[in-house]
Amino acid sequence: MRKSFAKIFALLLVVALSVPAVALAQDEQVTIQWWSHWANEPAKVAVIEQIAADYMAEHPNVTIELTWWDKGPLFDAIRNTMIAGEGAPDITTFDLEVSEWVEAGWVLDIEDYLPWDNFLPGIKEDGNFEDQGIEGQYKFNISAVSNMLFYNPDIFAELGIEVPEDYQFTTDEFLEVVQKCSDAGYAGVADAIGNRAYPGVWPAQAALWTLVGPEEWNLYNNGLKSWDTPEARQVLEYTAQLRDAGLWPTTFSTMGIDEFHIYFHTQRKACMLYVPTWYPGRAFQPQENGGQDPNWHFGMLRYPSWEDGKGNDLLWNSFESGYAVLSTTEHPDVAGDILAFAAQPKYGALWTAVTNSPSAIKYDVETDWPSEELQEALGAVPGQWDWYWEEFAKVYGTMTPAIGTTTRCGDFEAAVVAALNEGLPLGLLTVDEAIEMLDEALCAE
Amino acid sequence: MTTKAHASPGTFTSAAVSSRNVARKKPWGPILLFLAPVMLFYAAFVLYPVGATMYNSFHTIEANLGQITTTFVGLDNYKALPDDKIFIQAVKNTFIWSTVGPTIELITAVGLALLVYFKVPFFRFYRVAWFTPMLVSGVIVGLVWRWIFNYDWGLLNVGLRAIGLDSLAVNWLGRRDTPLAVVIFVHFWATFGFSFVLVLAGLSTISNDLVEAARVDGASTRQIVWRVLIPLLRPVLITVTLLSFMGKMRAFNVVWVLTGGGPLHFSETVATYIQKRAFLWRSIDLGYPSAMAVAWFGIVLLGVGLLKLWLGRKETY
Repeated sequence: MRKSFAKIFALLLVVALSVPAVALAQDEQVTIQWWSHWANEPAKVAVIEQIAADYMAEHPNVTIELTWWDKGPLFDAIRNTMIAGEGAPDITTFDLEVSEWVEAGWVLDIEDYLPWDNFLPGIKEDGNFEDQGIEGQYKFNISAVSNMLFYNPDIFAELGIEVPEDYQFTTDEFLEVVQKCSDAGYAGVADAIGNRAYPGVWPAQAALWTLVGPEEWNLYNNGLKSWDTPEARQVLEYTAQLRDAGLWPTTFSTMGIDEFHIYFHTQRKACMLYVPTWYPGRAFQPQENGGQDPNWHFGMLRYPSWEDGKGNDLLWNSFESGYAVLSTTEHPDVAGDILAFAAQPKYGALWTAVTNSPSAIKYDVETDWPSEELQEALGAVPGQWDWYWEEFAKVYGTMTPAIGTTTRCGDFEAAVVAALNEGLPLGLLTVDEAIEMLDEALCAE
Repeated sequence: MTTKAHASPGTFTSAAVSSRNVARKKPWGPILLFLAPVMLFYAAFVLYPVGATMYNSFHTIEANLGQITTTFVGLDNYKALPDDKIFIQAVKNTFIWSTVGPTIELITAVGLALLVYFKVPFFRFYRVAWFTPMLVSGVIVGLVWRWIFNYDWGLLNVGLRAIGLDSLAVNWLGRRDTPLAVVIFVHFWATFGFSFVLVLAGLSTISNDLVEAARVDGASTRQIVWRVLIPLLRPVLITVTLLSFMGKMRAFNVVWVLTGGGPLHFSETVATYIQKRAFLWRSIDLGYPSAMAVAWFGIVLLGVGLLKLWLGRKETY
């Protein structure tokens, strides 16, 4: 009898101890801290907050607390909190420029959380670190990037510059265009390095892309190949020719990134603008906030082509900063589930509709496009920028997208900034000196 | 009757005992209680970071396959410093700055302080106006002066062109020879007010009787300045020079915003380069930047010591 009671008692004890655990798991209130950059891009803020609100509506036991940052201070904060071992959020902005986080074990593998079929091709190449011997996927992307070249049609008309039928000048023709613009008192392109370490590199990167194609480009761009080759020298010499023809504005070293957007779309002092598809984040805001006149329609061009260039017909794509789950999270499953929730096609469509940036998430325009009410609720004006997408489709729609990545080591990153962002555009370095500087800093494979 | 030139041993013993008694009577409990918060703060936010930096300087921190490994490397980080071209450029720039900067700051501060001391017209306005730049954040200073130095529409070049000096309207932040001069000037503009206030305070402590006596003796204003005021200001001038030197040796925020240390590291300082190596070098290794910071700390200490020796020789009046 006693043994029976003991057994029954033990059984009841086990049940009693397990029931609260199950009940807790089901009703447990979970708070997810989500730190995101894009603090100064209200459209992107609106979409992410909508995603968070929708998730919380479907999961009443989950509270998502979003904190908005500028990217630099955010990355500093993540580094500090992860080293300290406390204070870090569950989800954070993540990009390849902080790939050392993955090497340090700070970022969780989210391979099993995300529906990868929902994303564009190339997504997995962007968020893996197999080259560093690390398995898994670490980056959730909501935004894709295409690298574009805009032109001011009014200036082109004034100067009698005709856009080719295939929207692509040859490199020689492009040089002539730049010279014409410069002779008329315009800058070839609106570009500046006052507060960024990369815009000055775009013309050289674009020329390299069209000449050597994406595979070789990735090697050159990431310091995995010597720049003392005929192709690289050809690109840098061409860049120097463009510089001498007046490609860059005289305010190149002082203008900030916001300023050179305005230099192009409002001050209209430059013929062209190299810019990725995050252009709308700054330019498609109200004019009093630094945005452009929505009724001013600029044109788009393909990057100048080389004879026998391997990348002439390839659209240089990449992915913008995305999100990652940090290893210190106490709720990895919930954090992963939130990112999986955000990977639905309707949010890809919402991203594009509201931010006017391409989405990394595939969607069907017919079934996934958000209602006008929802767009307006998030601050968008439906149809206002349709002309932009029509131009994009017209010029780039028939190009084959290919992925270019940037995962440089620190020394090479510094060399690229010094040589290609500053030295060559400002005429402070010769081509030989630039090549020497880059080659001295190559990354070990 | 002779006067004892020295106190008797008994007096010394009495003094020592008296001193010990005073020490025993001090309320050490309350003293420590009141000092504790600031000492804790100092330990947590000064001593610990300095100690951690020194520790890190003898190690490398590597991330590999999800693991962080800290490895003792002895003096390897320090030995790498002389071969680092960017570090050498940054040291050179900072030494130039810490020589030129304090010199122009001292001359300006003394000159302006004397103007206020001698109550030139509107001296009360100048006393406030010349200190005002100190109140502006270094970030704002950098941003505003970046606009002022804009080649096309910056105030400087527009003004130069307006008076026919087009040849002087150059790309101030985009050349080899001007970016360092620009950051030195901007930093000087932002900080000379502090030296000015210190010198003015020093002048206000000089007895008017001395100045009046000099006037009675027929000294001109120039003679009063050079023979009375400047010598008496010596301790203040030494302090101002040392503070200015130390400030320039660790200048960061104005440079960071104005030029970022560029172009091509022509305006790089040790502080900006440490910042880049520590946080913007695609690495979590703090060992090498820590070695830079510790080495520079030693150099600054040495520099301050040598300056003190050179400037601090005693004079009697």
